[in-house]
Amino acid sequence: MDEAGYAVETEELVKTYNNICVVDHLNLRIPRGGVFGLLGPNGAGKTTLMKMIAGLVRPTSGSLRIMGQDAGQRTPALKKLVGLIPQDSNLEREFTVEEALKVYGRLFGVKPLDSRVEQIIEMFSLQNMRNKTIRALSGGMMRRVLIARCLVPQPELLLLDEPTVGLDPDVRQSIWDIIASLRNAGKTLVFTTHYMEEAERLCDHIAMFRQGQMVFSDTKAALQQKIGYDAHDLEELFIRLAREGV
Amino acid sequence: MGCYAVFSREVLILYKKIGQMGYVFSSIISPFIYLFAFGYGLGNRVEVDGGYLPFLAGGIIGITVMINAFQQTATSVSVGKMYYHIFQNLVLSPIHDFEVIIGIIGAGMLRGIFFGGLIFLMAWLVFGAVGIHLSLLVGAVLGSFCFAALGVIVGLVVRQPDDVAFVNNFIIMPMTFFGGSFFPVDSLPSVLRVLVMIFPIGALNRLMRSAVWNMDMAYCGLILFVLGLIFLFISVRLYRQYSE
Repeated sequence: MDEAGYAVETEELVKTYNNICVVDHLNLRIPRGGVFGLLGPNGAGKTTLMKMIAGLVRPTSGSLRIMGQDAGQRTPALKKLVGLIPQDSNLEREFTVEEALKVYGRLFGVKPLDSRVEQIIEMFSLQNMRNKTIRALSGGMMRRVLIARCLVPQPELLLLDEPTVGLDPDVRQSIWDIIASLRNAGKTLVFTTHYMEEAERLCDHIAMFRQGQMVFSDTKAALQQKIGYDAHDLEELFIRLAREGV
Repeated sequence: MGCYAVFSREVLILYKKIGQMGYVFSSIISPFIYLFAFGYGLGNRVEVDGGYLPFLAGGIIGITVMINAFQQTATSVSVGKMYYHIFQNLVLSPIHDFEVIIGIIGAGMLRGIFFGGLIFLMAWLVFGAVGIHLSLLVGAVLGSFCFAALGVIVGLVVRQPDDVAFVNNFIIMPMTFFGGSFFPVDSLPSVLRVLVMIFPIGALNRLMRSAVWNMDMAYCGLILFVLGLIFLFISVRLYRQYSE
């Protein structure tokens, strides 16, 4: 696959904080289209990697290419291609749902803005919520609005950092449905999770991390062939990885 | 335009806060108390050309512009960066660095001018101590520009909210009290008097109080403008290096 064929490509990517290596000489290739799961225990460097891809964290060294472009040069065109749904809400709490969508769209120069926002409101069934302030929303609803807002500018690459953590099964299912529909629409989704069932259900490709290093990365089908896993086996592997670094 | 998108976002946040009465009240209560307490407490004892109340009112309007442009901008950027993570939305957006900073500074200027205007109205209604003149308008615009740009720098540099308090205690507070807001700088030691000449608040106060536009006022305006430009370019540079 040529360079432009990868959504994300890293080469010897390093991030250190106060001499502590959080992402350690990472060589990773995320193909375009489909769902790519980043798994690993807390502190494995998944969120830092997400933030580096999104442009919130600067790498210490190494190279990072997004959609074939050097991410060191954060051009407006490149930024428009990437959408981040962070673990902690970064919605403006004073805004209503509709205002949050419109303001974000305006920041990304979306045109025509009003019709795009209406489309998103309909797509996410937010009609009854549009005038509610963000601070009045439940955790699940807030996560839904975060995803909706991220899609206003129609990014090609979506980064979801633990999108279903702390949500009830019903809301989790609705977010899984959204992820599935985005995959079907040809988007590239990269997401982190601690739920192995979720990874098993959604991912086309899985990479496991430990202490800033990638332990393995392969397609789900290839992993199934290699270790013959199901969700339970994946969980077992995850626990062994966290405890022993297998 | 990108800077308009940033500016309108910041203004919407401000508008929502202004809707909460406590926000407006807490922003103007301190200047009003200063005006009332110093005006009545020291009014007869401090001898100033033109009377102490007009002198004090000009100084209080100046510090209101300064505090609201500086502190609100610094707090908004730092808290948005560290706690609510809403600053991320600007970093993620495809808007050019310079335009983002201009948008934030523009909103800080609006805050400074808005609350300075409220104190102006109070001083005018309660004490009849002020009048509108060109230098006051120039001072409000350039002063709020200079301090909002300084606020962006502080907001970007700090790593915890206590650091904003540190800047307040060691920079803003001394400028407030030694910058000629409450009493004429003639009574200060000569070293401090020289410092006051280049303190942005000193220049702002002189603009706030002058009823005429002359070379001295142009010099004060130039100080604020040049400092504002320096702060603006430092802000853009810091923003470019942003990393969590």
